[in-house]
Amino acid sequence: MNQLTYGNINDKVVSSMEPPGKSWMASMVLIFGALSMGIFAWAIQIRHGLEWSGINHPIAWGVYITNFVFWIGIGHAGTLISAVLYLVRAPFRNSIYRASEAMTVFAVMTAGLFPLIHLGRVWFAYWLMPYPNQRDLWVNFKSPLLWDVFAISTYVSVSMAFFILGLIPDLAAVRDESKGLKRMLYSIPALCFRGTNHQWLHYMRGYLLFAAIATPLVFSVHSIVSWDFAMSSLPGWHSTIFAPYFVAGAIFSGCAMVLTIMIPLRRAFPGFKEIIKVKDLEGMAKMIIFTSLIVTYAYIVEFFMAYYSGAKYERALFWFRPFGEMSSFFWVMVTCNCIVPLAFFIKKIRTSIPALFVISLLVNVGMWLERYVIVGTSLAHGFAPFAWGSYQFEWAEIWITIGSFGWFFMWFFIFVKIMPSIAISEMKETLTPPFRKKK
Amino acid sequence: MRKKFSGAWATFEYLDDTCAAIKELRNRGFDQITTHTPCPRHEIDHALGNPQSRVPFATLAGAFAGFGLAVLIITKMALDWILPVSAKPILSVPNIVPIAFELSVLVAIYFTIGGMFLMILRDTWKHPVPKSRKYKDYDRFMRDRFGIVVACGNHDLKKIENILKKHEAEEVNLES
Repeated sequence: MNQLTYGNINDKVVSSMEPPGKSWMASMVLIFGALSMGIFAWAIQIRHGLEWSGINHPIAWGVYITNFVFWIGIGHAGTLISAVLYLVRAPFRNSIYRASEAMTVFAVMTAGLFPLIHLGRVWFAYWLMPYPNQRDLWVNFKSPLLWDVFAISTYVSVSMAFFILGLIPDLAAVRDESKGLKRMLYSIPALCFRGTNHQWLHYMRGYLLFAAIATPLVFSVHSIVSWDFAMSSLPGWHSTIFAPYFVAGAIFSGCAMVLTIMIPLRRAFPGFKEIIKVKDLEGMAKMIIFTSLIVTYAYIVEFFMAYYSGAKYERALFWFRPFGEMSSFFWVMVTCNCIVPLAFFIKKIRTSIPALFVISLLVNVGMWLERYVIVGTSLAHGFAPFAWGSYQFEWAEIWITIGSFGWFFMWFFIFVKIMPSIAISEMKETLTPPFRKKK
Repeated sequence: MRKKFSGAWATFEYLDDTCAAIKELRNRGFDQITTHTPCPRHEIDHALGNPQSRVPFATLAGAFAGFGLAVLIITKMALDWILPVSAKPILSVPNIVPIAFELSVLVAIYFTIGGMFLMILRDTWKHPVPKSRKYKDYDRFMRDRFGIVVACGNHDLKKIENILKKHEAEEVNLES
């Protein structure tokens, strides 16, 4: 195995940006197929209204809000890895953070679609923004739904800025490795960066500040998403545990998605095996165990609070979740989120690439079901038993969900071919620089 | 238009040679130094005397501006169209906190980016670099080479060339 040097890091990353091969093309055909079906289903729903979804009274939030919370959760890990792990100087961060940041940006772009899809009349989406309008009617700042608009908009702006800022030195490196038109195209986003001391000084200070500011944002954004639920007066939702519970769950699912995309990426580009080491993936597995334990603790506390509070409807709901008509979803969720990740306590499993991949997929399934159970069961069993209902998702919701994966992976596949998917300059920082007098 | 450049530039393979050359140049009174590195290195900062960035002031200004903006829009809009919700106050601190926090972060980020670019432009303006095609086309600074650019008068060129060669520069180019 070659020793990593400043020069061959450039070579390995630039080689991943060569024109795509057959496997990339075949994947894109599948991705576009899924995306087209999603667009088709949404078009039908816009034409005929939300009756084409399973949304009904009393379950006004269904798969769309489940998807929204799921994708925001996926988007959580990128900023956590790029900001929080940067501040604590985690050694496994450098090789995986660029792809995780890209994942964040594309996941939040996907999540942002779902409130629009859920609106039904998507052309009125602009009503969410506080702008001077003809009726002098302003948005309601007392509503957590409006806080969410601000939180998500800020999160997407900051994630994108962080992502683009991190790319500048690497785009400069790609520019210098390219010739002709490609060099000209990369020189525009590289912004004349040539690695001077003046550029690095202000860049690194700015980057550190970005990380410091983005850190509380990581915790605030999913807390605010959780308040969409917790601020309402519904059994199973109205709980102070929701903010930390959602944040831990988001980090949990985000780390799993990082493994889900990094493992195929590592396989697709053989040069990456020396950069993305098994130790780095093991670091993510340890994060998954840690957050899985927090999530499990939160599940137990929810049940304990329902029992200990003595509140009738709270107790009824927490009986309905494991034994009611949606119990199968609940038990799959518990298996995927609480039991399966425990396998990572065994070193042999958390250092096995196939095991890491399979478990990460199961965690993704479990975390999607967690949001589905939270949304579906509480709305189905509110305070008025005569208004209890049930929810069955329809084909439009299934295809829009599959289409959202198509949308996410479309951006990610394009990204790996046109941008450096591993942070070149940060990887170089981890190496011992060339010294004439060996230290 | 950029300032006219007169001085020397050199490339190095090793970081310790680069740092030693920077230290000697500074000891001899040459302060108009620009370095090139493939990634940020603290050794270079130490050799240059640990310069400090003022970007945090821009961030702080942005955070205050964002906070002020949030308080202003919420107050204005809440009082402009009164929305009574049960017995809740029309304007209260808990309502303001989430949006004030988000807007503080958002504006602070934009100010940080703006401040960073302005400071880089200012420092680049103050420290001229060669105009020659050879310097502009040199493409290993972002790969695996270190570089030093020293701006000086024509009478100092020989002195600088000797210092750079003494510290094993791969190539030294003089421009006047």
